[in-house]
Amino acid sequence: MRIQYNFAFFDEGSKREIRRATLKAIAIPGYQVPFASREMPIGRGWGTGGLQLTLSLIGKKDVLKVIDQGSDESVNAVSIKKLIQKTTGVKTVEDTSEATLIQSRHRIPEIPLKPGQILVLQVPLPEPLRKYEPSERETKKLHGEKDYSGAWLMLFEQIMKYRNMTTGADHPVMVHDRYVMAPSPIPKFDNPKLDNSEALILLGAGREKKIYAVPPYTRVVSLSFEDVPFRTESFQDKSCKLCGAQGVFMDELFDAAAGVIYYQCNDTSYCLSRMNRQSAVLMQSL
Amino acid sequence: MKGETMVKLDLVHDIQASYRKVVDSMSRPGLISDLAAEAGKLDRDAGCFPSTMIIAMMLLDTEVTFKVFSEKEAQVTHMFNRLTYANTAEAERADFIFVLQDAASDDLRNALQKAKIGELIDPHQSATVIVETEAVSGDKALRLTGPGIRGESFVQVKASADWIQIREEKNAEYPLGIDLIFIDESHRLLCLPRTTQIRKEEVR
Repeated sequence: MRIQYNFAFFDEGSKREIRRATLKAIAIPGYQVPFASREMPIGRGWGTGGLQLTLSLIGKKDVLKVIDQGSDESVNAVSIKKLIQKTTGVKTVEDTSEATLIQSRHRIPEIPLKPGQILVLQVPLPEPLRKYEPSERETKKLHGEKDYSGAWLMLFEQIMKYRNMTTGADHPVMVHDRYVMAPSPIPKFDNPKLDNSEALILLGAGREKKIYAVPPYTRVVSLSFEDVPFRTESFQDKSCKLCGAQGVFMDELFDAAAGVIYYQCNDTSYCLSRMNRQSAVLMQSL
Repeated sequence: MKGETMVKLDLVHDIQASYRKVVDSMSRPGLISDLAAEAGKLDRDAGCFPSTMIIAMMLLDTEVTFKVFSEKEAQVTHMFNRLTYANTAEAERADFIFVLQDAASDDLRNALQKAKIGELIDPHQSATVIVETEAVSGDKALRLTGPGIRGESFVQVKASADWIQIREEKNAEYPLGIDLIFIDESHRLLCLPRTTQIRKEEVR
């Protein structure tokens, strides 16, 4: 038996709940709006927050792209894309510039986003203060009072122990000079892309039942100290083995046969489009 | 309101398309969205603007409460309740407040003054106020700055009374505050979230 699902899987009541929370989230940048997170046909922690946002937003005219850690083709991205495509019939793409709705896990695409696009980020742990305060009631109070001494202390302790801030991903940011926010586990490399973004960025945590947002042209500053400035991962002198790109976020890989380390673009569609362009140029010159 | 007035509006796709326009306008204050394509499918004499009815259907259900300010308050309240099953509340507690065009001259002031602004630990538990106005446009009457705005943007809102002043007082203690949605007769929609700063432009 084939179940006839409503457009975009959800019943309209679920969409309304998510839509109300989303509008509040946009009005209070960086503030985590609680919402009645739904059970989804994928496991919690596998992108249910992002998926719920996407389903509440998507319409027939949208063009969808789903990325998982930079890749369009990993299992999680493909499963989510299929679920959305089968319940909406929208066009799905890999080309970032063509998409109107981009759901992503742990990366912001290399190609700059533009107005008319919405980036949806999947968030496993939305509370940046959770590491030192287990109580939700307490963290809500800390946010309410803008008491972020703990967030600073966490970074300070890292500096004391390791001489630098050791956050690999999910480095906390200050949004609109009011809320400290977890940017989801994007690498530090992507943090600057949140600041003054051209596109609306929505973040959804399904298990933790929170939705929050960074509207376009909003000030987002990565937490740092005067004498220990924020630094992104550096890929200086490294280039992609496949397309030769430089200055993008790269994966470090090990060729066991040759015993050497090599680098590859993490954003697969960016890499692919570069290679396609190169081979097109090559074909023309032949 | 009769049954057939609703037939043409697609409750899934037209509401979705309208929602995306509201998202656009809310995330880019000053951006005026046009709901004509969807609102045009609704009856004009339902007691409120067709776009207002779309907003009601988009956001109201049994989980939230609303309050209507209008000469035809009873009629419109009954209609919203029948369409969405949402219950009414006093202006001080309502999640959504609708100030319709035929409301008394000081109703807008009244509604803004009474609207809840949330608490420091729950700033989202604040009212969204939907205001019907004569016209909203991009004319250079009000200068807007804040998140969602590149530099500055300009709008004109033809609304009664000193709403700007009252809004400023209500939103003085950010993140507490109210979010405004203005709708005009030609289905144009403007959002002013609490983060938006408004300055009146000097008359030249």
